[in-house]
Amino acid sequence: MKTQEDMAGLMHPLAAKYLRPERLPHKACPGCGIGHVVHCTLNVCEELDLTPDNTVWVQGVGCSSRISYTLWKGDNIDAHHGRIFTVATGMKMSRPDLNFICFTGDGDCASIGGNHFLHACRRNLDVTALMFNNSIYGMTGGQVAPTSPVGAKTQTTPYGNLEDPMDTCKVAVAAGASYVARWRSTDFKQLTKSIKKGIQTKGLSFIEVLVPCPTQFGRYVLGITDAKEIVQWYNDNAVTMKKAEKMSPDELQGKFLLGEFAHNEDRTGIVERYWDAVNKIQEGRK
Amino acid sequence: MEIRINKEFCKGCGYCIEYCPQKVYELSDELNGKGYRVPCVARPDDCVDCGLCELYCPEFAIVLKKTA
Amino acid sequence: MSKAIKRKDFVQGDEAIAEGAIAAGCRYFAGYPITPASEISECLARRLPEVGGVAMQMEDELASIHSIGGASVAGMKALTVSSGPGISLKLEGLGWGIKNELPYVVVDVQRAGPSNGVATRVAQGDLYTVKYGSAGGNNSIIALSPKSVQEAFDLTIECFNLAETFRTPVFLLADETVGHTRELLEIPEDSEIELVERKKPDVPPEEFHMYPFDTPEAINYPFPNIGDGYGICVSPYTHTSRGYATEGMKDQDRMVQRIVRKVTAHQDMLTRCEEELMDDAEYAIIAYGCEARPSLEAAKMARAAGIKAGFMRPIFIWPFPDEPIFKIASKVKKILVPELNRDGQFSREVTRAAKGQAEVYHLGSGGVETHLPEEIFEEFKRVIK
Repeated sequence: MKTQEDMAGLMHPLAAKYLRPERLPHKACPGCGIGHVVHCTLNVCEELDLTPDNTVWVQGVGCSSRISYTLWKGDNIDAHHGRIFTVATGMKMSRPDLNFICFTGDGDCASIGGNHFLHACRRNLDVTALMFNNSIYGMTGGQVAPTSPVGAKTQTTPYGNLEDPMDTCKVAVAAGASYVARWRSTDFKQLTKSIKKGIQTKGLSFIEVLVPCPTQFGRYVLGITDAKEIVQWYNDNAVTMKKAEKMSPDELQGKFLLGEFAHNEDRTGIVERYWDAVNKIQEGRK
Repeated sequence: MEIRINKEFCKGCGYCIEYCPQKVYELSDELNGKGYRVPCVARPDDCVDCGLCELYCPEFAIVLKKTA
Repeated sequence: MSKAIKRKDFVQGDEAIAEGAIAAGCRYFAGYPITPASEISECLARRLPEVGGVAMQMEDELASIHSIGGASVAGMKALTVSSGPGISLKLEGLGWGIKNELPYVVVDVQRAGPSNGVATRVAQGDLYTVKYGSAGGNNSIIALSPKSVQEAFDLTIECFNLAETFRTPVFLLADETVGHTRELLEIPEDSEIELVERKKPDVPPEEFHMYPFDTPEAINYPFPNIGDGYGICVSPYTHTSRGYATEGMKDQDRMVQRIVRKVTAHQDMLTRCEEELMDDAEYAIIAYGCEARPSLEAAKMARAAGIKAGFMRPIFIWPFPDEPIFKIASKVKKILVPELNRDGQFSREVTRAAKGQAEVYHLGSGGVETHLPEEIFEEFKRVIK
């Protein structure tokens, strides 16, 4: 049994710098893409000097959150299912000087958290949200999610899902988020760039990441348990915006659109507006 | 590039083996403490320092160090 | 000794609660419109920016309570308000506050129920909801109930102080009558108001335990916030003393013991009642909140009629005042408990606390209006026969 000392020499420098050694290896299933996103996030932390002292990791409930919770050396604030944006609102409004990275899932964000997601985008809350989309409820054993494809045979849709999936990026854009993007967890370069852009853009940055899920989505919906084959499935079913322009609506049916859907550097958000207004009110009373 | 594998972190997903463009990695016969079959560096001289394996590994189990 | 007064005003209870929060140092409010609590939100929306605080109307009741949890974690004294149906929605968020030992205050301005009931009219149906409503039990809820506008102000401040002392959500269990009645409010000078401020750890992060399971009865325990450099871990799941998720039986038991015992071990600090005419009383009328003043009037009417009636009102409703009630029950023959519900919530607790020393009678009502003193007196005469 290797001790922490033995493994010290083998610890990845990013993990050594930013993550709690006693929480590694993290809890993700073999082949789960959440580790990819954590890695890209840490690369951005290096580039932008986001440290445990100035950055808080916020989680919800589900794989997205259980895996990322207590990884970060700084503060880890894990909210109830779906309430990540509401807790983040309380924190960011109170401490606008701190950075907040929110790790949520498709169930956490789009289902139970739907209302809060809408209003966080509407208020353009100045946080960065990474939504891990595995198109299923992973942690609870493979139930259908609002992002599951039509026809998907999940634990709660044994005869096939009858509902159309939600396009959370479209919703985020419509509700007013300043920065919206979607990538696969294996789009390392683009994902890292997007996370960096998101953090640098004021307002709500919403980045949806398609993550391979061998244990639930792969096994139940695709009938594939080999992680590499699930990555291939995402490669076959994801199209960039450029490519999509040349495709018909029929061809685009069921495909994931990759790219940046919004990048509005001018739209202010609740945090900036509120504190500006308070300053004015207090000036007026002098 | 010096390649070190933190075998105890490995969960045997096979990404490094599959996605290394130079096929540097192979599945070994070794099992780690959790029972996963871990990869080994079969062709270290073929490594072109692309760093993809480090990114593809979801577990921070591959540690690369650029040699002089 | 009377306090130096900063301001006198003729306001409704809701506004007194808002001013109490400001005086207590509350600088984060989140709420959702709901009768009869909306006036608190409206007052704070106006007043908090004046004092450099945050007032948010959130998208729903859940967002309100979860965001005040976030604000608490970020270092703010935080408040949310609602009424029955909104409190039902907040119960999940309350759990997060209880288990992570977050100080904040929730005001329930009770109204007629169940469900939406009569939005604009009074009742007292939430006694158990505020204490036992949040899933899983094992909670540290403290609840105080005001009878007047002045008390609504004073007890709100006390709620904030208790929240910081015990690191727990605290309820102000008010009601529509107190909330909407207008009376004189005297706001003391700031220097006259004693406040409890949050303690920070005096040990380095690696030595600090966010949740003191080794000293479950500790109060005034430090609460580092985000950005303090302590790497705090807060989550809805059962956790270790450092906040790491755990599923062990021992860990679960240690965690719930801490949450429960930090309150039960300090019953003496959390018991306060008002008694009148009790010295030689042979019968007692016990009521709280809006029912208190008509009940006292009824006791006086009984005295005028030559009956040795006394009156008692608990100010701390939770933890329940078992000892004072047992003392009264040991002295008197019968106790009448007027309350605005028909399932006898308060009288059930009084019966339990009385331990058979006196007969306890429930005078119920669906609400909408409080009992009149005459109604209480009539029932009182009937039960003492």
